[in-house]
Amino acid sequence: MTVRQQPVRIKTKKRIQIILLLVSLAFMGLFSRLIWIQLFKGEELQKMAYEARFRDVAIEAKRGVISDRNGRPLAISITTDSFYANPPQIEEGKEAEIAQQLSGILGVSQTEILNQITKNQAFVWIQRKVDKEKAEAIKALSLKGIHSVEEPERVYPKGALLANVLGFVGMDNNGLNGIEASFDKTLSGTPGTLMVEFDSKNQRIPEATQKFIAPVDGSSLVLTIDETIQYIAERELRKLAETHQTDRAGILVMEPKTGRILAMAVSPTFDPNAYNKYDENLWKNLLISDVYEPGSTFKTVVMSGALEEGVVTPQDTFYCGGAIKVKGGTIRCWRTGRPHGYETFFEGVQNSCNPVFVTIGLKMGQDLFYKYLNGFGFGQKTGIDLPGEGTGLIVGQKRCTELDLATMSIGQANAVTPIQLLTAFCAICNGGNLMKPQIVQEIRDASGNLVETIEPEIVRQVISPETSKTVLSALETVVSQGTGKAAYIEGYRVGGKTGTAQKIIPGGGYSSTEFIPSFMGVAPANDPQIVCLVVADNPKTGVHTGSAVCAPAFESVVRDTLSYLKVPAQVVPEQVSASSLQAVTVPSLVEKDVQAAVAEIQQAGLQASVIGDGAQVIAQLPLANTQILKGNSVVLYTRMPKNAGTAAQIPAPELTGKTKEEILKISEGVDLSFEIVGEGVAMYQDPAPGTLIQAGDKITVQLEEEKEPSEEPLDP
Amino acid sequence: MLLRMRRILKNLDYTLLLSIAAILCIGFVVLKSATVNASVKFDTNFVLRQMLWAGMGFCAFFTVLIMDCSVFAGFSRWLYGLNIVLLSSVLMFGKSVKGAQAWIPIGPIRFQPAELVKILMILSLAKFLSDRAGRLNTWAELIPAFLYVGVPLGLILMQPDLGTGLVYVAILFGMLVVSGASLPKILLLIGGGLAAVVSWITGHYLWGWWMPLKDYQLMRLVVFVNPDVDPRGWGWNIIQAKITVGSGGLWGRGWGKGPQTLNEFLPEQWTDFIFCVLGEEFGFIGAFVLLLLFFILIWRGIRIAGQAKDTYSALVAVGVVSMIVFHILQNIGMAVGIMPITGIPLPLVSYGGNSLLANMIALGILMNVHIYKEPFII
Repeated sequence: MTVRQQPVRIKTKKRIQIILLLVSLAFMGLFSRLIWIQLFKGEELQKMAYEARFRDVAIEAKRGVISDRNGRPLAISITTDSFYANPPQIEEGKEAEIAQQLSGILGVSQTEILNQITKNQAFVWIQRKVDKEKAEAIKALSLKGIHSVEEPERVYPKGALLANVLGFVGMDNNGLNGIEASFDKTLSGTPGTLMVEFDSKNQRIPEATQKFIAPVDGSSLVLTIDETIQYIAERELRKLAETHQTDRAGILVMEPKTGRILAMAVSPTFDPNAYNKYDENLWKNLLISDVYEPGSTFKTVVMSGALEEGVVTPQDTFYCGGAIKVKGGTIRCWRTGRPHGYETFFEGVQNSCNPVFVTIGLKMGQDLFYKYLNGFGFGQKTGIDLPGEGTGLIVGQKRCTELDLATMSIGQANAVTPIQLLTAFCAICNGGNLMKPQIVQEIRDASGNLVETIEPEIVRQVISPETSKTVLSALETVVSQGTGKAAYIEGYRVGGKTGTAQKIIPGGGYSSTEFIPSFMGVAPANDPQIVCLVVADNPKTGVHTGSAVCAPAFESVVRDTLSYLKVPAQVVPEQVSASSLQAVTVPSLVEKDVQAAVAEIQQAGLQASVIGDGAQVIAQLPLANTQILKGNSVVLYTRMPKNAGTAAQIPAPELTGKTKEEILKISEGVDLSFEIVGEGVAMYQDPAPGTLIQAGDKITVQLEEEKEPSEEPLDP
Repeated sequence: MLLRMRRILKNLDYTLLLSIAAILCIGFVVLKSATVNASVKFDTNFVLRQMLWAGMGFCAFFTVLIMDCSVFAGFSRWLYGLNIVLLSSVLMFGKSVKGAQAWIPIGPIRFQPAELVKILMILSLAKFLSDRAGRLNTWAELIPAFLYVGVPLGLILMQPDLGTGLVYVAILFGMLVVSGASLPKILLLIGGGLAAVVSWITGHYLWGWWMPLKDYQLMRLVVFVNPDVDPRGWGWNIIQAKITVGSGGLWGRGWGKGPQTLNEFLPEQWTDFIFCVLGEEFGFIGAFVLLLLFFILIWRGIRIAGQAKDTYSALVAVGVVSMIVFHILQNIGMAVGIMPITGIPLPLVSYGGNSLLANMIALGILMNVHIYKEPFII
């Protein structure tokens, strides 16, 4: 074998050296790159590797049940299917077909689905929480790359019942409103985690390392709400809202002894199963979030404080001349045209008489007034376990004028939340203990074992049990004889108070056309089981008084609730009337013979006190037809010597409604001088009727053209 | 014959031989963990099969040593012709799956001509260039050399097998350099070629120019520039390869403990992405050792070329070295994210009988050049 030898040239050898050099450089390059990515970026890439492999699959815990106090479910969790896609798993070319099939079942646009499933991601939701039939239909297609996962969905089986209290949950089962939000942690439990290792095709690896932390299902809540009472309240509220065309309205029922909320109805409301189809404003619970000037229902608070401090006693008498002058202004009574005249304390309450309460408030003075304002919890949150509670708006004590004090005494100027007011009312009714309003009474674990019982919580004692009793009997007369007659429930002793507040006009001042009527009451009055507040915002059907709009609703709610709670029917209402609190009508005595008049008065069960020594009655206080309690006295004015110089004090006669001639006639007989201003009939006088004045003093009387008595009295 | 055997054994480059054996052993170890899942899935003992191929490879290696390779210079035309025939038959009878090298089924064996044709190319091109050594300074001399390679290269690109095509270019480049061709002209040609490719691809995308490459191949080049173009598709491999190597850190995750490997984040990680497995499980240390062994192998190869008895043998040695160097650079470069993804196996490490056998033959030829560097008279 011959091999042709061709000696290797020098240049070739040189070039081989070049090759070695080039190769060395290339290897150096690889080497540096290795150092860079393995030693410098190693940690970062390790993290990326980890992320590429592991997916935290959250195993949602089942949300706890919310039930009423009898265990009837109000919010439950059911399991639904949610569909997602693994776009890399979907066969090429099949995307459009899949999108079309899914679109047909789900009712979502085809392009939308196509966009989702062609995304360059490992995981995309197609639709979550799909209806059962739809889910079955999709599963039946068994599309490659389309998967389902079970997700719990919140369902409110009673629809809109208690919606504003329950709230609702978002897509991820997080509580967004109401109890769902305030007890979110308790209800939601602890989601479990399944750390799943995925392979490059984003498929779970069966044998791969998995870390599983089991979810702890959420605890259940037992509310203080009673579904039946709630139902009654909502039914009556709907009726009220429809009948009176209110903007908004609410009914709150509580157990006064414990502060537990039995019903909390809000109108208009929404269905939490489809909360996002309703306006956001409908979601909130205006009974705890919104403030209003309560008007006369607030007088219960004023009288409680005044009675507790002994500023007034039930035996005191007052005089309503249709208005009362205070420093800085005049507060009119709601019945300006026909003033209440001479009143006992109870009558003042029955009549919801503004001058009486202004008198009481002013007598209390700022310090005492604020003591009870604060004591009853106004201007502070009640601490109820619901989100979005309002604080209320209280006139600052430092800048509180006499006019403010007078206005506050009749329930205006201060803005309160309904829950604040009724919580204070609970204290008034239950013997004086301010309770923390309670909405949840038990927390149970997922298997129903009791975890925690929430006991009623006394915040502080505000008034004594005696005062509480007195106020209750006064309120009872409101229903039996006063402005709250519409709330009378046969067979039960009911106490209550009407309220008709003028709405504040945005920007200041009070509206003369928009009102917030309300009624707040308690039953039975001698052993309070329930208290109830009915509030209506801006009824638009003529009448707008608390007695006309809210008292009937109160009556229905309380009647049905008492019967549902099997509270035994008690006293017949006559027994109340027969008590010492019985009222009598003052007879007309003017121009009668004094002897006959006194006899008539005594016959009516009243006492007579005669001023002067004339034979004929020339004026009387209170005026004829005024209702006063038995045992009170009627002042009879007879002719008395002028300028006698006696040091005796005489009560100022009531001149309201009298003409100039009539007043002059009186002035001839009594040792008083009158300054008459204006024309018409007497409207205001100073000093007020009943005020003890020295003989010979001057009374200023303002006359105005007589108007028809207002058909829409401001505040019964 | 016995004398020849003794002579052969005496003249063996043991450093080269040991580095080959060491690389093969590393390959077996890495292959074991790379195929943990796949061996179950395909019911195949990859390592055992690879060892069998390695055994056959050694047989071929030593068979090649029996006689002086420079005899092939005598019938380089035949080799060239065989080359063309093989490539044509692949085009006619070959089977291919997306992206993999085409094969011709011969019984149970899938014969991949692409591996063999590289060797045929080296043997024939060495003759072509050694005849023209020292004269390759003019375009007139250079162009024929390009055409000589161009014909089989064209057939390869028609398969299409971009990887093997690039190996041809690398072989041509290495051998041209050593045969004394004008460096500026070579660089101009290669650079011009690159520029042409870039403008061709641009034209293809913008104006729909005809392109011999399939879209998936083109995509590999495009995503190499920006893997985020398609992070779940073609860019996936680039990103995952880098993550897998990088996450090994200094010491690696340990044999059989690489999470990326276990979960097969890279397609057929026992072939083209085997270096990633090594990088993840044995870390920088493991990768460095392999790289060092490869460098020793290459260094010995270049040394052999330098000591060759004639230009033909030197060119053959340089051809083999160029081929192996290109494979290493391309494969590892791809794993560490500095080269585009092309299906090129890592010599002696990647699983695959054809490739292993071809490389053993090529290394045998290299060893052959060493053994017969001095006149060898029996």
